Amino acid sequence: MSTLHTWAGLLLGWVLYAMFLTGTVSYFKDELSQWMRPELPRLSQIPDQAVVAQRLADELGNIAPGTSQWSIRLPDERNNSVYAFWRTTPRNPGQRGFGEGNFDPATGQRVASRDTLGGEFFYRFHFQFHYMPVVWGRWLAGAAAMFMLVAIVSGVITHKKIFVDFFTFRWGKRQRSWLDAHNSLSVFGLPFHFMITYTGLVTLMALYMPWGEQVAFKTPAERQQLSAELSAFIQPDKPSGQKTALASVADMVRQAQERWGRDSIGRVTAVHPGDAAARVSVARGEAGRVSMSPQYMEFEGATGKLLTVRESVGAAAETRGVLYALHLGRFSDTEMRWLYFLVSFMGTAMVGTGLVMWTVKRRQKLPDPGCPYFGFRLVERLNIASIAGLSIAMTAFLWANRLLPHPFESRADWEVHAFFIVWGLTLLHAVVRPARSAWVEQLWAASALLFLLPLLNAFTTQRPLWHSLVEGDRVFAGIDMMCWALALLHAVLAIRTARQGAISQSRIKPKRQAPVVTSREAAG
Amino acid sequence: MNHLLPFALSLAGFTALAFAVPRQQRDIIGRPLQPTTTYVLRVAGTCALLFALGILVAEKGWSIGLVMFSGHTSIAAGIVLCALIGQARMVR
Repeated sequence: MSTLHTWAGLLLGWVLYAMFLTGTVSYFKDELSQWMRPELPRLSQIPDQAVVAQRLADELGNIAPGTSQWSIRLPDERNNSVYAFWRTTPRNPGQRGFGEGNFDPATGQRVASRDTLGGEFFYRFHFQFHYMPVVWGRWLAGAAAMFMLVAIVSGVITHKKIFVDFFTFRWGKRQRSWLDAHNSLSVFGLPFHFMITYTGLVTLMALYMPWGEQVAFKTPAERQQLSAELSAFIQPDKPSGQKTALASVADMVRQAQERWGRDSIGRVTAVHPGDAAARVSVARGEAGRVSMSPQYMEFEGATGKLLTVRESVGAAAETRGVLYALHLGRFSDTEMRWLYFLVSFMGTAMVGTGLVMWTVKRRQKLPDPGCPYFGFRLVERLNIASIAGLSIAMTAFLWANRLLPHPFESRADWEVHAFFIVWGLTLLHAVVRPARSAWVEQLWAASALLFLLPLLNAFTTQRPLWHSLVEGDRVFAGIDMMCWALALLHAVLAIRTARQGAISQSRIKPKRQAPVVTSREAAG
Repeated sequence: MNHLLPFALSLAGFTALAFAVPRQQRDIIGRPLQPTTTYVLRVAGTCALLFALGILVAEKGWSIGLVMFSGHTSIAAGIVLCALIGQARMVR
């Protein structure tokens, strides 16, 4: 069981670490997106969603006439832009069949802000990675989640004493301390870690386990019924071919606001807008209910007549809806989101301490510590690049957001390229430098980049920290201060790692080298 | 929504439970406590945690209540552990 735990944890451990950390920051993805579009003013109060919906419907009529479907996510407490996408007819095979964009809620025009993926990049990377077909990425994420599940269950069995030793931490005892830290981090968040891993698999279950569905639902009508249980998207039927303008979208949204509350509208979707057969669905937002199951009102597009109200789904679909929602945490208020963030951060540290422990345990048994075998060196270097290196790469992504010129051809892509280029460089650095120096240097680099980011923000935007504090702009002030907190964390880890190195080098027995990092580091 | 009371209860609950463990009694107080005291601490700690759960569920319903409880307890346990580490370091 112990061997199973070790190898299940290690083999996809680097992937898991990256998934955990990017997933953790994704709880604040909307805030990050706001920070990464500094030209877009902050919404001090949420505009009337009905008015914004109408504005966007008009604009999409201009941008995408004749589209078979468009969908808009309305602005809310956490979003100061409106995201919209619409289907297009691909001219060439292989071309994407949709267009998308962010819009200014005040004008309905495309945002005149820098081109960026914003927090969306970390979110997408978290479950489908990048530079590979989306389906492959999702399968890889699923495999990693499966390994994680095995590691959690086998970990509870292996470290039988984790519950007895609940409050035990033995400081300065090398391997023992590492194990204690790893155990504490695991056991405190155990319900969360188990939940997040299992529900992570549930979010993509239709991809991983499609067979039941394929056997059970054969006719198009059955399939349509299935998709109605899972999402508020209406599948486009055949258009009538007869042109008819869309009735007032604002009125439809108003009816939904009366039912669910003024700011509780999530999405508005229209199929065949401008056609006599048009239909519009107004879906309830995700805040305040622990379920991703669709709740929506469906209207006849041409007349604005209410056709149906859907507020519940079958038991199986609801189970999925709840598990899905638990994973994403979008129902939560600010305090809840911070709890999610912190416990998820502990999960990241759990994976990180586990990875480092592999080397700590084996270092003592090395026949010649000066010249470890290939496998050991490989794990050691990959640990450095995937733990300290990822902190640098993620910060570099934010630096690129502020430094790349705009307008600039495929700017959003270059922000992402910058992330991967920097990450690649950290691996190169980890390979060419001695392991301990590589840890210390990379931790210092991450600390410096994080510390300087608010200063860079002050020089390159109109929204420096003092301005944000005076204005009460929580998003900008929060991110600036979070950068400093993380810079401090990385600095502490760098100092501790360097000090441990100095101590162990002064010892006579070179065999008993100190672990190179401390427990918190993984969290960085 | 007031997070303060359930959080304080979780913190108190875990503190009581930590003092109910022989190893921690030895480390902090220097001697094991009476079995009755240990028992009372254990019951009090459990009650505090259940009380926190009760408040959250009553206010927010089972779904959000349970999620919040999980978050509160994780953080509270972490704080208690950090305090114990800090205490041990100060003594040394």
